[in-house]
Order: sequence, then C-alpha cells, then structure tokens
Amino acid sequence: MSIHIFRQVELMMRPACCQTIRSRLCLHKAVLPPVGHSGRCISGVPVLHRRAFSLDSLSSGPGRHTLGQSSQQPLAERTSSSALAQRNLSAVALQGKCRPLSRYDFLHDLLDLGDVEENRLHAQSSKMARHYIVDPDLAQLVAQLIEPEDAKTVIFECNPGPGVLTKTLINAGAQRIVALEGDKLFLPKLRELEGRLDGQLEVVHCDYFKLDPVGNGAHGPPSMFTDKLFNDLGISEANWTDDVPMKVFGILPMRNIRGTLWKMIYALFEQQSVFRYGRIELNFFISENEYLKLVSCPGQNLYYRPFAVLWQMACDIELLHKEPWESFVYTSKQSFPRSRLPNDHLCLVRLRPRANLFSNGLTPSNASTLLMMIKQLLVKRKDKLIDMLDHWSPDSGSKLLEEMCLSEDILTGHVYPEEYRRLFELMDKSQEFKQSWLYKEVLENSERGGWS
Amino acid sequence: MGIKKQHHLMRIYSSKAFTRSDHRYPKLDFSQQELQQRFKKQLTIEQDCTITIDSVEAQKPITENMAKMRKLLADQRVLWHKSLLQALMESKTILANTNTTDNRHNLYPYLCVLEDKDYVDIMIQSIDELPPSGEALKILAKYLGGRVNTKYSVRQKQRNQTVEKLNNIYDTYTDLVAKDGKDFDTLPREQWCKIVMDQSSGPSLQGGESDLPFIVTLELGMYMVDLMVSNIKINSDILNPDFNKKFIPLIYHMYTFRSTRQVGFIKPHPILSQIQLEAMETKLTFDSYVMPMLCPPVPWNSVKSGAYLLTPSQLMRTAEGATQHVELLEQCKNLHAVLDTLNQLGNCAWRINKPLLDIIISIFNDRGNDKLDIPPPLSEAPKIPHFSPQDPSSTSSEKAQMKREVSNARKKGSEMHSLRMDALYKLSIANCMRDEIFWFPHNMDFRGRTYPCPPHFNHLGSDVTRAALVFADGKPLGPKGLDWIKIHLVNLTGLKKKSSLGGRLEYANSIMEDILDSADNPLTGKKWWMNADEPWQALGCCMEIANAVRSPDPTRFISHFPVHQDGSCNGLQHYAALGRDVIGATSVNLTPCELPQDVYSGVAQQVEEFRVRDAKNGVKIAQLLEGVISRKVVKQTVMTVVYGVTRYGGRLQIEKRLKEIDEFPKEHLWEASRYLVRLVFNGLKEMFTGTREIQEWLTESARLISKAGYSVQWVTPLGLPVIQPYHRTRRLVLKSQLQSVFLTINYDTKQMPDTVKQKNAFPPNFIHSLDSTHMMLTSLHCYSAGLAFVSVHDCFWTHALTVDTMNKICREQFVALHSQPILQELSNYLVQKYCTGIPLEAKKKKTEEYLELSLCLATVPQTGDFDLQRVKESTYFFS
Repeated sequence: MSIHIFRQVELMMRPACCQTIRSRLCLHKAVLPPVGHSGRCISGVPVLHRRAFSLDSLSSGPGRHTLGQSSQQPLAERTSSSALAQRNLSAVALQGKCRPLSRYDFLHDLLDLGDVEENRLHAQSSKMARHYIVDPDLAQLVAQLIEPEDAKTVIFECNPGPGVLTKTLINAGAQRIVALEGDKLFLPKLRELEGRLDGQLEVVHCDYFKLDPVGNGAHGPPSMFTDKLFNDLGISEANWTDDVPMKVFGILPMRNIRGTLWKMIYALFEQQSVFRYGRIELNFFISENEYLKLVSCPGQNLYYRPFAVLWQMACDIELLHKEPWESFVYTSKQSFPRSRLPNDHLCLVRLRPRANLFSNGLTPSNASTLLMMIKQLLVKRKDKLIDMLDHWSPDSGSKLLEEMCLSEDILTGHVYPEEYRRLFELMDKSQEFKQSWLYKEVLENSERGGWS
Repeated sequence: MGIKKQHHLMRIYSSKAFTRSDHRYPKLDFSQQELQQRFKKQLTIEQDCTITIDSVEAQKPITENMAKMRKLLADQRVLWHKSLLQALMESKTILANTNTTDNRHNLYPYLCVLEDKDYVDIMIQSIDELPPSGEALKILAKYLGGRVNTKYSVRQKQRNQTVEKLNNIYDTYTDLVAKDGKDFDTLPREQWCKIVMDQSSGPSLQGGESDLPFIVTLELGMYMVDLMVSNIKINSDILNPDFNKKFIPLIYHMYTFRSTRQVGFIKPHPILSQIQLEAMETKLTFDSYVMPMLCPPVPWNSVKSGAYLLTPSQLMRTAEGATQHVELLEQCKNLHAVLDTLNQLGNCAWRINKPLLDIIISIFNDRGNDKLDIPPPLSEAPKIPHFSPQDPSSTSSEKAQMKREVSNARKKGSEMHSLRMDALYKLSIANCMRDEIFWFPHNMDFRGRTYPCPPHFNHLGSDVTRAALVFADGKPLGPKGLDWIKIHLVNLTGLKKKSSLGGRLEYANSIMEDILDSADNPLTGKKWWMNADEPWQALGCCMEIANAVRSPDPTRFISHFPVHQDGSCNGLQHYAALGRDVIGATSVNLTPCELPQDVYSGVAQQVEEFRVRDAKNGVKIAQLLEGVISRKVVKQTVMTVVYGVTRYGGRLQIEKRLKEIDEFPKEHLWEASRYLVRLVFNGLKEMFTGTREIQEWLTESARLISKAGYSVQWVTPLGLPVIQPYHRTRRLVLKSQLQSVFLTINYDTKQMPDTVKQKNAFPPNFIHSLDSTHMMLTSLHCYSAGLAFVSVHDCFWTHALTVDTMNKICREQFVALHSQPILQELSNYLVQKYCTGIPLEAKKKKTEEYLELSLCLATVPQTGDFDLQRVKESTYFFS
C-alpha cells in the first residue's frame, strides 16, 4: 500500500519537473478560464446545452484519481465566443491581404438554411446510421469553432447531409469547402448548391471514414483512395512542419468509433492517407465516453491505453464543445452506447497533429515499431517498465530509465505520452534494441481490416 | 418407461438370432505368436509415451552448414535442459514451502507426479515444435499440460502392475483374432470381458488411474511456459559475431492484437527460428498415440477401457472439461452395439501402398505441387516484397496495394508453413509404417460419428493420405471385382456422374490406354490421372487395374484396394426416408431409377424456373443472372442446408461460386448471392416438403425444451445416448505469472442452455445420429458376414469382391432403421423426459409454456406415401 501511495505522489510530482508541454497547457488554462456561451437560446428550437466547456463531468468520471489533476490536465480547454469574436475582428482586419471574405456577401443576402423541419426530414430519410446537424444555432456555433475564415485552409466537411452546416460555413466566410458526402441521397441538393456558388464549394461522392480501404475486393464510391481524391481536388503534398493546410470536420459514425480513430492514428504516424498532405487538423464530434478515454491520464488504469497514449503523443487535443445527443438528428433507432463513463454528449474535439512530432528521431518508417512498443507495454499497465525493457534487451532498462530521469520502479501505466516518445527515440538510437525482436514484429491489421 | 425400454434394433442385436453361430467373423491374417510380438512392440512405444521417427526429408543430403547447425542445436539443448532442470527444482522448493491463500491451485503436488527430468523433456520438445510465427499461450499451455497428463496416466499403469496383467489378457485374447486361433462365436468385446473376468485378481483395467483435471493441466502448462520464457537463454552473437554478446531469452511472451482482443503469444526468438531453418532437423518426435497401432487395439469393453494399450483415450470426443457425455454413457446399460462397431472398425488392418507413397514423397521432397495437393516447401513461397512507406515515388494507393501484398505474402508464407508441416507429419508417419501392418483404434463424437484416434495419418484424411493406405488383408477380385474397381476409378475422376454404372464401366474400358499409361508412367506419360477430382486415389486405382488385367486370371488377382460407395446427399436421404417423401426420395435415389438422380441439378433446375419467372416480372437481378445458374453454383448450399447452414452462410457459399465466374459483374455479387440463396431455400422447400416439416418440428421442439431450461437429449435406435452440450458461456480467468488467460466455457451444465445453438443444431445433430446409426448397423452386419468394412461417415469401404454384399447390407439396414417409428419414438422419449407434469405452484405463464412444449413434442409430423422397401432395389442409393 505504501508503495502505491508513493507512486501516486511521484506521479503527481513528475509532470512539474519534466513535462514542459503540460505546464504550457496549464498556463493556457489559467489565462483562458472556461467561459460559457451567450445568446444561444432562440424560441422554437430545442435548447442547447450551455455547459459547453465545463469540466465537471470529466473530473467526476470513475477510476480517475484526483491527485495532481490540476497539473495534469492534458487537454487545453479554450475558446469562448468572446475570444472568437476577437479573432473574427482580427481576421477582418487582415482582409486586405486575401480575397474578399465572401463575395457572396456583397452580391446577395446570406444563404438560406432552409426550413428546420424539412431539413430534419431530409436527414432522417437517410438509411445510414449517422448524426446530422440541422439546428441553425448549433450549426452557427460549430461554424464559429471551426474558424472557417482563414482563407488558406481548405475545409473538408464529412457527410454534410442536408447541408445546414455547409451553408453556415459559407455564410461565415469559408473560402473553400469540400463536401465529402457518402450517401447518394444528399448529393443532388448539395450539387445544386455547388452550382449556385462561385467555387467556394466542391461536392464529392466520398465517405471520408472509408478512405483508403484495406481489405481485398472491389471498391467503388463512396470508398476512395486519398491520392485520387486529392489529385482530383488539385491539392498537393505538403511538409509536415508547414501550417495546417486543411481542416476536417465530421461527426464520427457511432459504429466502431475507436476502429475509425485507430485507422487514422496509424495513418498519422506513418504519414499515410490524408497525412501525406500535411498536418491535417481533425475536428470531430465523438461520443463523450470515447473522448474521455482519448484524454485519460497516466494512472487512470482502466482507460490509459495505447489509444490515448498515441493520440496524445501525436496531437494537441482540445475540447471545443459538448452538445447533448438530442441536438442532432440521428437516423438509426439504435440507442447510444452505454458506458461506465459519462456519455450524454457528443464532444467536438480538435485534434491538431504536432509539428514537432517527427523532429527528434521518430520517422514515419520507424513509427510502426513505436506503435508496436506502446501496444505491448500497455497491455498490463501495472507492470514495471524496466522489466519490459529488459525483456526486449537484457540489462538495458536501468540505463534508459536513468537517461529519462524516470524511477526504476515506474509502472508502464504511469508514463506520459511524451515520455514514451522520448523513450522510443532513445531506444531507436541504441543498437541493442535494433537487434531485439520488437523490430521484427509487424502489426498485422487482422481480419476485418480492424486496426484497434 | 421409454427410457428403459430397449429399442427394437437393439433387441435384435442383443438376441441370439443376430450374433451367433451362423456368422463368420473375419480373422486376422496373423498367427497368435505374431500378434503377441506385435503387442510387445506397441507396448514399448506406449510406455515411452513418445516416439521419434525420421522425417521424409531425411532422404535429402546433409550439407556442411546443416551439420554445423544441428550440432549447435544439440549442444544448446543440453544447456537448456540443464538450466530448466535447475529452475524447476528451485521453483519447486519455493512452492513446497508456500501456503497458498488465494484460490489458485498450488501446483506443487502436480509437479511431483513425474520426475523432474520428464517435465523438462516435455518442455524441450515443445521448443522444437514451436512454429516460427509462434503459438497462442493458451494452446501451448494446453499442449504441455496434456503431455504431462498422458505421461502421468501411463506411469500409473506401469506402477501398479497393470502392464503385466494386460500382457496376459492380450495373449489369451489373440486366440480369438489370430488365424491359428480357435473358432469362437463371441465378439472381441465379449471375449475380452470374459478373459478379464477369468483373471479377476490384480489391478483393474477399467481406468482406475486418475486424470488431472483440465484446469490443472492448463495451469501446469502455463507454469511450464513461464519457466521456459524466463530460463532458456541463448547467446545473441551465436550466429552473428558482430552483435553484442548478451544472454537473451530464447522464446518470449508478447501480445498480438485481433480486433479488440489481445491474445498472449509465445514466439521463438528470430535467432532460434534461423538455426532451426538452417539445421533442417529430420527427426520428428510424436506422442505415441499419434502413430497407428502395431497390434489390434484393445476392444472397447466399457466407457473407460479400450483402444490403446496404456495411453488414455476417450470413447467419446468431447470438449475438454465437459462431463455430461461420459456421465450419460456410464449410466447406459447397453452400449454393446456401439462398442462393437468401434471395435470392428478398429480391427481393420492396414498397410501402405508403397509405390504410390514413393511417388508422393519424391514430389514432396522436390518442389511440391499445389495442383496435386502436395504442399511446396517454404523456399517456394512468394518473397515478402520489400517496401518503404517513405518512398516518395509511389502514390498512396500504390502503397496501400504494396501493404496488402506484404501482408498477403506473409499470410501465404505462414499458411504454406502449416500445410507443409501437416503433410510432413502425415508422410513421415506413413513412411515410418511402410513395411508395417497397422491398426487405427476408433472413437466417436457425441452424435456417434466415428473417427480414427491417430490425428494426422488416417483414412479420413485427404486424397493423398487415403491413397497411401490399402487393406492389409487381400481378397481375390472374383467375377465382378475388376468391374467395381473400374467404376470406382471413374467415380474418383468426378466424370460421368449422370451415367449408369454400365455407362461408367464402358467409359473406363474406353480409356484403358490412358489408365495403363498413368499406371506405368505416372510422372512421364500422358498424366491422365492428374486431372481427376481425387488424383492420387485415381493413380492408385490405375495401378491396381493395371496389375489386375496383367495377371493371368484377374478374377483370382488378390486385391488390397478399398472400393468406396458414397451416399448421394446422405442427410437428405435420411430426411426423405423419415418423411416418406415421394419426390424427395426420388431425387436422392431412394427410389430405383435407370440413371442416378442428381439432387443438385434438380434444385438448380427449380431455381432456374423461379429466376425465369422473376426475370419476366422485371426483377433486375434475375435478368442479370441469366445463364449463370448451374449445378455447381447451388451444390454446396444444398449439401449443407441439411446440416443447418443458414441463409447467411449459404449466401457466402454462393457468392464464392459466383466470384469464380469471370463474366459475372463483381459489383452485383452481394445482391445476386442474396437473391439466389433465397431461391435455393425456396426450391428445396418445394422439393422436400416432408423434410421441411420435420426440420421445423425438430427446431421448434429444441427451442421449447431449451427455453424450459433443459439441454436436448435423445437416444439413437442403437441405444447411444446423445446430449447437446451447448450452454450459455461462462468465463473463467486463469492467472499466471505471465498473464491472465480467459477461458470461455460453453458446455457447463450448470449454466442455462444456449437456446439459439440448441435449436439450430438439433436437426443436423439428429440426422447425424441417424447416419451414424445406419453406418453402425451396416458395420455390424458386414462383420458378421465376414466382410472388411470401414467408413468415412457416409462413405463405406470394402474389398472389390464384397462390394455387392456390402451394398445389399447397406440398403437392408437403411430400411431396417427407417422401418422403426423413429420420430414417434423420439417424440415419446422427449415427452416422457421433459413433460413430467406441471409444478403445482406454477404461474400462468409457466403453465402456458409447459402446455406449448407438451403439445409440440407430442405432435409428430405427418409422413408421405413413399414405400421404404424400394430402397433395396435402388442401385444409386449408395454408389
């Protein structure tokens, strides 16, 4: 027991001394305390939640130990409408440099979002199990959070459905939107909108979540290969360290959320798929429980797993907004997945790949070994890290841990993602580990093309 | 009381009228002394528990490097043995002084049932057998623990003087089976029991020794794996002096990830795999029960005693840890017919078809041949393409493509390895037996279907293994034997399925030139045999024909060749007979016809009619399928429908067939297969009305029985009790040093029955219990007529001379079986078993359910007008 307590304390102390990234986040948090929204209540539409950025439900999640929480919170919560408003102003101030925000504005009124009820019916007629945004206020909020006014960034909207958000984004000044719609049902109306506009919108019959299929057999639309898509769109590859060239917005299909995210994180580390085209920023609505798993911290034994480690290692993760499930149109009768974690909301999460991810020895070609290592280490999160390291390369563990300033009896479930990255970088430099079987193992993406 | 009442068929079997004096039981072609010597040889092997044989690859020359690597391995093994022994002793000392307070077993007592050295030997052996891609921890643990158990069991028998007693009994027993023995009118089982009674002093042979519980064997196995992982080391620079010298673990524990599951795996270090690959060791070590027996098996005389001499064997194959079957069997008063069948099947002596085996081995040791089902060596495997994900010149779809190729190549490689090893085992065992005469002891599954116990090499195997086996006993061809062999050859080619027997014979005669050429120049001639459905058996058949026609008098040519007679869609035959279904009976050849009826063509025709109708009505997919529907497309589905294939599975089967048709547009595969499977099911319904009703009645009965909380249970007409072992899953966690292992147990009778499985499996299981009964009846009657008889489920084998007799018996016994009121008796049994009265305090809902169950069980489906006796005249019933 005493050891346990010692570990907890140690865990609490450690970030303070060697986690620069997190301390920056702390600062960030201190500067920008959560602020609620105002002016979202309009009669006639369902009332949307205001607890948008509250952390209450987070900290009350089971299995989470409260020690040291303030210093460990890996997510940066930020944004408020006021902050956004200021941004908008500055964007307007910069207008001279790029082409007018939206010429549409000059010539016409804003695009008509259409009748809410009609949009709802239209969305509901889809046979795919998906969530859609039809509420104009929700669309407005999401559009603001995506910050569409940056002219250099292309916005990929996944499965826009009735197109309420699409129009809102254009009204908000988006310069280039690519609507990737997997359901043929919505294509005619979207194409019609595309025709009415002056190049701000391109519609492609494509399901973003089925890009680059792995299985054998025939592939037709809406599944597609990235290079074909990007080629058609005339988008060329970019360097990892360049600015974010593209933002993706989508609501993750409820079926196999984690599988979808696994596939993406693999692609990210190997710079495959969309990540060949630079640091694509992902803005996804995912279920609250999956979000909580994504941001779980060392010591949260049940949830601190490879999934969380790899995403946190690769991306800055920001919770932009929480919205109750009921605010969306859901086309399936299936109920929401139950979970031991709170799961009343869809969370809009921004996953922005870190520019420095590949700066220190990690490369897309050795990344698969990193993935293998993380997966092996975190099967049992109460094992000692040193034992696992010695297992791979006898007598190397203590030297490595010393270099890392980690204690000899640290458990694998208590190591931060950043530390794991550094650990890997050290291992990759050492000849001893190169001879280990770890480097000969390959992660098979087994049967169902499952990546999880 | 229906349960106690003997079935009619059992009464016949037990009565004097069946068993006695006018019957000629076959004798074995050995003297008593020869058999006694063979017994001693077999006994020695079983006492060792393992046997080491030369693999067929031993025929290859040894290179300098191979010799070096073999020496290296041998030296290493000595070291590993030493460190394992040391570690085991230390660990035992610790365990002996540990009081376990948690609910885990303290393994100490189980580490004392053998000598330390024995445990270590078992561990070292498992290293040699570890495939390069590793093995799941659970499987490896089961294997190690199982070996300890076998050895333990044999040791017990050695200790308590069983061996000596067994020796005496067997010596006396040979009197019954040897050719120079006396004539008896008793069966092997009866004789054995009689001798045992006479020698009642000393230890019991009735399995007095105890088995280790299944869970313990697993824990023991995991303990041994842990010991190996942490104690066997190798120098990292052993192959490459450039590497840092370190003592590294030889095998390691890691996880593989399969969708959401993590599976603990034990893998050999790449260095070990490299040494093994280069050493190409040519010794194979097997558990002794893997080899066929060198003397006739001990006749099954009780649930616990039979088959091997010392090696423990199960009368009924069950999931490890499932006890319900054995309990039922032990309560059963009269299993004689079943035991006797197993004994008769086991008493068939075999030998190797040497010329054929030599050809097979020569191809195996060359480069293999996929078309002839001889797996090529790994050197023929596709090279795993090298690709770097960083190569900027390739597009992402090219990379995805390359990734797929790498993964396919790797998959192909490990598939090839396992196929190659499987063939290596089979051929090596066969080669080791090339000059022997041997026996396959038999046991059965819970529905009574019989299997030879040795797992790799037996007559149930593939074309290759079947071809390598012939009867040890030879019989003259007689007047019609040669014709039967020729017809058998045509059957093996898969041609002329729609021709009469005369037509097939005529065809065989018309291609005699090809047949003789195949026999004389199998690898250099016209290679006619290679295009047969079953090429190796066809080649063997060609050689037999060549030898026979060239002998001075073919009718007196001694043939060892087994001739097969196949039931035509045997499952549907039983359904049609149960339902006395006139149309169904004709389509599966229960009715005599000039030409064989082909149920698959029939269904295909019916499906085509439906399609034409739909196409006329403008159904698009029906129009698209014009000219596609054939016998081949529907065959597999029709065949498996009887055994419970669902629409889902049926669709997959049909999709596979459609994929093979190049012209068919791939984008419509899903829709087309979904459409077709519906038509096939409808077609079958139309043709087999009775079948459908029976199937539905069985399904519904099982559903209600299971819902009432019982497992479905019945008794075959030969008195074999059957119980379906499907229950809701219980999870069990076994903790060990390495990891926790989760066991899913779905046979635990304390759990509620799994209704879905109980109901879906009942019809096919019931039909299997009938086809096994038919086989048993045929076997028993063949034996009393002095025939050699073996079976592969619904395919019966005998000498060419006796095909006609076997055919007659086979038909008579089918009629005898179905003349019983089978469904009525089933209904009586179920009612009596599950409707024992409504509990007094039952609620309304319970009462309703009870009434529904009683009503369903009592309502036997109506039958049609088919005259069962006509089966006796049907040529193509089994052909």
